[in-house]
Amino acid sequence: MKKQILIIEDEKFLSQLLVEGLKKEGLEVFTAIDWQEGSKILKEIKIDFIILDILLPGVDGVEILAQIKKDEELKSIPVLILSNLSQEDKIEECKKRGALDYLIKANYTIPEIIAKIKKYL
Amino acid sequence: MPRDNNLTGKEQILSIINSLVDGLIGFDEEGKLFFINLAAQNLFGVKEEEVLGRPISDFSNFPKLRFLFYLLGEEIKEVSKKELKIEENLVLEVTSLPIFWKKGGKLVILRNITREKMIEKMKTEFITISAHQLRTPITGIKWALGVLLQEKLPENQKKLIQNCYSSIQRTTVLIDNLLNIVSIEEGKFLSKFTKTNLEKLIEETISSYREILTKKRIKLFFEKEEKIPKIKADPEKISLVFRNLLENAINYTPELGTIHISLKTQGEELVFSISDTGIGIPESQQKNVFQRFFRASNAVKVDPNGTGLGLFISKNIIEAHRGKIAFESKEGQGSTFYFSLPLK
Repeated sequence: MKKQILIIEDEKFLSQLLVEGLKKEGLEVFTAIDWQEGSKILKEIKIDFIILDILLPGVDGVEILAQIKKDEELKSIPVLILSNLSQEDKIEECKKRGALDYLIKANYTIPEIIAKIKKYL
Repeated sequence: MPRDNNLTGKEQILSIINSLVDGLIGFDEEGKLFFINLAAQNLFGVKEEEVLGRPISDFSNFPKLRFLFYLLGEEIKEVSKKELKIEENLVLEVTSLPIFWKKGGKLVILRNITREKMIEKMKTEFITISAHQLRTPITGIKWALGVLLQEKLPENQKKLIQNCYSSIQRTTVLIDNLLNIVSIEEGKFLSKFTKTNLEKLIEETISSYREILTKKRIKLFFEKEEKIPKIKADPEKISLVFRNLLENAINYTPELGTIHISLKTQGEELVFSISDTGIGIPESQQKNVFQRFFRASNAVKVDPNGTGLGLFISKNIIEAHRGKIAFESKEGQGSTFYFSLPLK
């Protein structure tokens, strides 16, 4: 069965590019622009990997990460933080809360990000 | 009220001193306060009669004055423009000097720099927010160009897109540097120390620059001692320094030049040096080399797009590791940059 990825990212242009890149690798991709959409998808579909942005409308990424890791059914899903925010304290907090890794979007190409994801899948 | 021309010389001077914006406090040779002007009284929220004739150590009981005591100590040490935060809305710049006419006495000058500090804080916040916001459209451009580069394109189009990609890549580096600077200024640019293999870091850095070294036909030699001990350092930050120094050497050395890198122990220190046969730094400009945004005039000619931030950040990193960084250079012949880090 194809692995299923959830991207929670509010910038449509960026998530589109990510989706295309991931689909080319034979992965099934779902997108959400915020936690409202994201949590609905997580309830209905079995997700194997989550890509999460920090700066989101409504609930911010760190809080979303916390909620995922607290949920019995979701906490085992690996979460990769993909954000353009590079404040040390935010990065530390995400890592402490169990994020797989924290990547600055602008410093990575899509192939590099996909390579990282495939390593964990 | 006596009229101006009836005031004695002393009263005139006192009136001038009491209308100064800066605070002035005088301590006699026994360390007792013998003078405090109005501005200082207002800054610290005290009245003259509460503090006159008392030694500085008495101030430990005053809510705001005690910070001055903590800074200067019982001996009222000499300081020059030292920042002293009294509370959120009160930051002072303190200077303490000997009084020449009262042997052993001290004069303390206090300047209210709260507003300057607030402006500085707003500036760094503004840069941080702007830099983070710039990253989003830059990411869009970078990723889209990346996708284009994977397509089959005519050579001229591919070249154009590659150049766009390099520009965007440079922009992301610039943003990283700006954020590093802000981090440094806020005192938040901290290093995470772990046992680090510097030799390996250098080799990794060199290999990432292989392509351009070959392209410019620059010969690079890396000399190292047999056994280089691992030292406590932040590998990410030290890598930044290696990258900065190597990139400078490559950038400012013309084709067919040479770069020598060496890593060795010297007494209690590990010493790294990198020499090139490049354009060098004009002597008159050498004293500015580690300043933020500084670029030597001959460097600007070779690369008009450099940021002038690399060495400022590198110096900051080395000093945070309790090391020292310096250089020697001769215009037209080349430069040698070196830094030392303590082994323990």
